[in-house]
Amino acid sequence: MVIDPIYIVAAALGVSFLIGILGSLGKTFTAVLSLITIAFMTFVSAGWLYAFQFGNQLEQVISTAGFNAPFSISLLMGQNEAFLTTIVNFVGLLGGIYLFNDFVKKGRNAFVVYIVFLMGLNVVIMSRDLFNIFVFIEITSIATAGLILLQDGHRAIGAGFKYMLATSVISSIFLIGIIFIYYYTGTLSIDELVANNNLLGIGGLTAIFLVMVATIIEMKPFPANGWGLDVYDGSHPGLSAVISAASTTASFYVLYKLMGIAGQEWYYYLSVLGALTFIGSNLLGIKQKNAQRLLGYSSIGQMGLLMLILGLRPFLNDKFLFIVASILISHYLAKAGLFWLAGIVKERDINNWSKLRKSPILMVLFGTFIFTLIGFPPFPSFFGKWELIMQLASAQQFNWMAIILIGSFIEGIYLFNWFSNALKHDNSKLSEIKIQWHKFAPPVIFGLLTYALGYFFSTYLEVASAINYIPLLFIVFIALIDFTPAWVKNTISIIGVSIYGLYVFPTLEGDLLRQIFLGIFLGGAVITLFSGYYNKGKRVGFYPMALAMFVGLTMLLTATNLFEILYGWELMTVGSYFLLIRGKKSLPHGYSYLMYSLGGTYLMMFGFALAFASNGYLDISALSNITVYPTLAYSLILLGFMTKTASFGVHTWLPGAHGEAVADIHFMASAILLKAGVFGIIIVLLNMDPNADYTTNIMYVLGWIGAISALVGNTQAVFQESAKKLLAWSSIGQLGYIVFGLAMMSHLGWMAGLFYTVTHFFYKGVLFLIIGGIALKLGTPLMYKMGGLIKKMPLSFIAVLIAIITLAGIPPLIGFGGKWLFYNAILEKGWYLQGALVMFSGVIAFMYLWRLIHTIFLGQLKDNHRNVTELSAWFLIPVYLLLAGIMVTSVKPEWLLEPLGNMIAQYFPDGQILWTDGVGYTEYGKWAGTNVAIIIGGAFMFVLGWLLIATRKAHKIGQFDITYAGERPERPETTHVAYNVFEGLYKAMWIITIPLIETLWTRINNMLRDIAGFTRRIYSGNGQAYMLHIVLFILVSYLVIIGG
Amino acid sequence: MEFLELGKIGLLIGFLLVLVGFWGILQQKNIIKIIVSFTILNTGINLIMVALGYLRGRTAPIIDDSVEQLANNNVINAVVDPVPQALVLTAIVIGFGVTALLLAFAMKLYTAKQTLEINHYNDLKW
Repeated sequence: MVIDPIYIVAAALGVSFLIGILGSLGKTFTAVLSLITIAFMTFVSAGWLYAFQFGNQLEQVISTAGFNAPFSISLLMGQNEAFLTTIVNFVGLLGGIYLFNDFVKKGRNAFVVYIVFLMGLNVVIMSRDLFNIFVFIEITSIATAGLILLQDGHRAIGAGFKYMLATSVISSIFLIGIIFIYYYTGTLSIDELVANNNLLGIGGLTAIFLVMVATIIEMKPFPANGWGLDVYDGSHPGLSAVISAASTTASFYVLYKLMGIAGQEWYYYLSVLGALTFIGSNLLGIKQKNAQRLLGYSSIGQMGLLMLILGLRPFLNDKFLFIVASILISHYLAKAGLFWLAGIVKERDINNWSKLRKSPILMVLFGTFIFTLIGFPPFPSFFGKWELIMQLASAQQFNWMAIILIGSFIEGIYLFNWFSNALKHDNSKLSEIKIQWHKFAPPVIFGLLTYALGYFFSTYLEVASAINYIPLLFIVFIALIDFTPAWVKNTISIIGVSIYGLYVFPTLEGDLLRQIFLGIFLGGAVITLFSGYYNKGKRVGFYPMALAMFVGLTMLLTATNLFEILYGWELMTVGSYFLLIRGKKSLPHGYSYLMYSLGGTYLMMFGFALAFASNGYLDISALSNITVYPTLAYSLILLGFMTKTASFGVHTWLPGAHGEAVADIHFMASAILLKAGVFGIIIVLLNMDPNADYTTNIMYVLGWIGAISALVGNTQAVFQESAKKLLAWSSIGQLGYIVFGLAMMSHLGWMAGLFYTVTHFFYKGVLFLIIGGIALKLGTPLMYKMGGLIKKMPLSFIAVLIAIITLAGIPPLIGFGGKWLFYNAILEKGWYLQGALVMFSGVIAFMYLWRLIHTIFLGQLKDNHRNVTELSAWFLIPVYLLLAGIMVTSVKPEWLLEPLGNMIAQYFPDGQILWTDGVGYTEYGKWAGTNVAIIIGGAFMFVLGWLLIATRKAHKIGQFDITYAGERPERPETTHVAYNVFEGLYKAMWIITIPLIETLWTRINNMLRDIAGFTRRIYSGNGQAYMLHIVLFILVSYLVIIGG
Repeated sequence: MEFLELGKIGLLIGFLLVLVGFWGILQQKNIIKIIVSFTILNTGINLIMVALGYLRGRTAPIIDDSVEQLANNNVINAVVDPVPQALVLTAIVIGFGVTALLLAFAMKLYTAKQTLEINHYNDLKW
């Protein structure tokens, strides 16, 4: 049974008067009474929402005093109204609790104003009468202006005054519009106006225009919104939370209601104004350093997005409500939550938000809200944005899609910047966070709601139905036991991952490609988690994120539709980001990783949407038949995936991010994570029509990208002094090979590419673990600070030696197979120039690989390393497992190559390798892996044996038997033989090492910031200037809409 | 004398006042003057409202004996449109509230910085 919604108004007014009349009730009593009233209001509207959602409740019109509008106040309680009043009252309730002390301090009138404020919003939402809406907008505005004064100081007063001026001008415009609507139609009831709209003459159109433009300005469109920014900035954060969540919701709904009488052409105007606001506001937010003002920019941006969506309604069909609701609720939860956090942190400068780290729960909440705003899974906005883009695509609205994605990206720039700084910025000088329960509870509740509603919204999305939530629950479980020591979580994680792997493996039956990648992803997970036992502490936050990454990776494999691919992709991105950012100096690199990923995601989303537009369904097979701009679609999707393979052009995040990561994370990030990009590229290429023109063109470009990545990656690796950065650049080169191989779109090319995918996992895994382990142990990754470690770490030495021989492609080890395949594939394809580049890169690779042995293990042992011991077994066991993989495949390459060949033959039947007795034949030659291994191995053993015998009488020289001059301990790098060893080569090749791409991205970034810094000066702070903006906005809109 | 009909005059003056009000809001630097401009704007709007509801030769929509006699008990034809008048009453009340609050703010602003120049309150910007 539902309660008549008039009681919302009645209770609010009744209690307000009661408090007013019975002045001396005691502050706390008044406070509790007020909160009970708001709780009652929430209860009433929630009851309606429940009845609509789970019962057969019909909507109800309430006309006060038995008259119809305009003689009475006509209210409507429908499903929309129930939903909106519920969320408004709920945030009002929590906001009231949050502001409890401030209200008590200001006295009983503050409560009255607050209750009236909420009541006003309720009526604005429910009212079906234009004049009534005007009245209650005014009541809300007056109440808001009063509440702004909760905050002391002239900032708040100034903001309140500007707000008051602006809203009174806006409502004057609104009122004039209303009068003329009445004059022309004789009614002010929205329903009657919708039913017989005769506002067709110039006068009627102007009347509608005035009402519409006032409502739009109420939503703070760019650039007539300086007054709105000031309110968010100057008010008490607790109030800003309620304004941002509740007031904007109500004004949005007014706009929604008015669209019924405004006429079709307004949809277009609304989209344009919304887009302008969404892009403009987010762009200007980039330069913002003040947290609360930043949130203001973001709020306004989100309102722009909602306006844009409302304007695009004709294209969204029956999905409109789902999209609006998910975006609205995400904004509502996240923005209120963030403002509340702002009130707890009490730091204006966004860099000082690193204070949040002093309270992990708040940090988690902060992350939750930021990712909700940007629209990552599992939050509601992700589903909304996805559906929005897909619907727009099927309506062929590609420009709008681009605008929405660009705006979202710009929003990501500043939100992620803020978040990264909070994660990494130094916080030692900041004060502790004082936690009061009543300020703490509201954001916690909203934080939990983001997850719950994320699940709720996902159930409405058909493509999301196959998502397996059990692994996600497992992640939550690991997060909940984060207080236990690392080894406990490590063990549980290994068990969990193993079970997951064993569960998924059979479901991929008959799909060798995915099984191989599953082996890399989850097999890799087990190996690298195993090495995690070295960690003695708690490793707070590591395990949930690592698992999120692995689950995301696996979802890529189990995905049956494009949505799931993106879901897994995002999950993996988030997880890996939190792993990469754990390094000491990883702040800028983690941030750029996140930005590349975000950009990549949006490119993929755009491409997927084009696939959806072509086919009308979202199965992965939709990729095979993209008819709408196929070149663009495939290029975008490939580019998106290439952000993870760190191919040339989108590679600048990798060296820093990987170079700063600790040993096992480095393994995860490089040997495993990068393969996600490879898998994505494979999925796309498999679905492309090999004979189409666009395929040939794209592949040609892709081939060059691969070749250049190989060259640049390897060349840069040569000049690194840090062993970890060396390996990071080397990864870019190696992934370049893979991309190059795949781009050849031939049997042998794919053999080479996939072969590298697997072997790179082996040998890079070894190198990362050993080199990373050594760097961890010695406390530095700089190679000139190492040396002579061969005697201290013989097992590590052997492992690295084998790994680099493999990487260099020297027979007899398996790396040679890759080179051999490449030769064959290049000859067959005829890409001689690119091929030469790739082969040349292989030679360059040798120059840096040699350094890993020479500089780290050979030469003189450093004094401070005399007590260093061998790496722990936790590193060596996985390393030797990987080495076993190398050895087995070296001796029996056909064990790997034959099934690989059979699988690839399904897609590229021509030019297979023929295997007879372990010898592989191609058009151009043969390779007998086993024989090669035996012969070269034999020769090696012979030489080794001979050396051992011949030198058995040689005098062993101790370290100090020789005189070594010039190594001055205070500045070792300048005199060390290993420092700048390739100086001569650098003189020849410096041109390749210019960070062109990095400079390019920096320039673009600076340009954006400069534009933002310049443009935002229109917000001069002068209230009169803001009035002028509003008036000009109205005039220009009038000229364009009515005059044009 | 169609041109000088009461409703039209009201409308004309109303719009004039609205323009004056806007001009004042955008032009005056003194906060009190801005607020006064706002009240002028408000008055203009109220005047427009009443003028639009005006019908020639009719009387106020207050139904008493005299009105009933005037229209031979057909009240509808004897009075002007009552709705705008009801709206104006509400609008006046709201305008009063807004003006009062604006003045309260002006007071607060003056206590904060001892000046009523609007240009001196640019603390929040960009």
